Amino acid sequence: MASGGYICFMRRFLIGWYAEQCVEQVKYVLDNWGLRKIVPHFLKSVGGLSALRLFTKWEDYYLYVLVDSMLQCMECEKPPTSFARAALDLARRRRVLDGCRLKAVQRPKKPYPQILESYFNLVEDVLISRACDLAAKPLEDVIPDEEAAALYQLFVSSEWYSAGRVAVHVGVGTPMRGRVLLIGAGTQEPLDFIKACQILNTRCDFAALEVDESIYSDLERLAAKHGFTAYLGWESVKETFDIAVATNVLNWTTDPSDAIAKARRLARELLVTQGVIEGMGTVFLLTIALRAQRPVSWREVEGLAKQAGWRLEKRYAKYPVYIALFK
Amino acid sequence: MSLAARFRCPACGADASVAVAPELLRQAAERGAARVAARCPRGHAVLLTIDQYGYIRSTLPVQEAARPDCEITDKAPLAARQRLQAILEKGIATDADALLLEKAKAAGWVICL
Repeated sequence: MASGGYICFMRRFLIGWYAEQCVEQVKYVLDNWGLRKIVPHFLKSVGGLSALRLFTKWEDYYLYVLVDSMLQCMECEKPPTSFARAALDLARRRRVLDGCRLKAVQRPKKPYPQILESYFNLVEDVLISRACDLAAKPLEDVIPDEEAAALYQLFVSSEWYSAGRVAVHVGVGTPMRGRVLLIGAGTQEPLDFIKACQILNTRCDFAALEVDESIYSDLERLAAKHGFTAYLGWESVKETFDIAVATNVLNWTTDPSDAIAKARRLARELLVTQGVIEGMGTVFLLTIALRAQRPVSWREVEGLAKQAGWRLEKRYAKYPVYIALFK
Repeated sequence: MSLAARFRCPACGADASVAVAPELLRQAAERGAARVAARCPRGHAVLLTIDQYGYIRSTLPVQEAARPDCEITDKAPLAARQRLQAILEKGIATDADALLLEKAKAAGWVICL
């Protein structure tokens, strides 16, 4: 009798668990359906939508490993550095940490897509192997500015990151929408944009805006070589654009709402591509280690855009990367 | 207005294109042909011979000098080593590679004599 009850309970439990998994998977596909339309080849090369879910699982696993390592060297109640506070906060938002209780995250059985190998190697090198230092010492002492600049260049020009950016521009047809402003362009986005123009076989008419002086000096050299306009700071922009593009810049700014509002004054359309907290974890800590500011969620990004007067024209994906076009 | 001429890399077989400026076509018309250097998407340097109509008549691989005078130090993270090694062995293929090498030197990941 008792075993019959147990079997019945287990059956209900398993049906419930599978149903939950199934609902979660369907929700994931529906939330990101637009990706199939705009980046079909990129999506195929990483292994489809299921590979993006797998990426999120690996992100959570590495976040767990990192926080676990950091907690060996600090008290959870009193994180001594800003990086440690950011890591704990992120772990709580990703539900890897409940208060100060760490929830074990199993290492995913399936390997991550091959194209992401360099990214996860970077996570291991920069974060996991320096977890204790990051927990206890100021960031500048653990990763000096020169090293952060080199790591930034390595990160933004990596194959997967670059391929993703090119794919979005090709998929949305950004170069064909008129004169383009790349906000917080850094050094790699203009190069990827030029590549997208070549793939689309169209004229490349764009300007790149950067607010970081050290990055601007490199951007200026690229602008002179490739024949586009480079601006340092919002105040220096003296023209208007057909479309402004913000690709993974909102987590680098101290005030994302300010950037979105300023873009409203300069362009008729806005394309946002932003990694968000609903599907990513460790990547935010990697960028914070390289001097970014904080993680953002897709609801926050969409809310800020609407607050600035933008109207949502088309949302292609919610997470792990939020992609939307505003007018 | 530049034309785009397509070619196949003689080193790896990758399809690529190169912008053919009017100046180059003029030069080809005067001399019978003009030469331009380009890179394939995998970074191989190629020397192209172009005629006055913008057609590519020949493609020759260019052997680039490696940088034996540079070495990767222990400071370089593992994630960067493979790419830096490729840059030092095969030469700088892209603007991104040039920037990475520059930053890597400043960070002490690469030392050049």
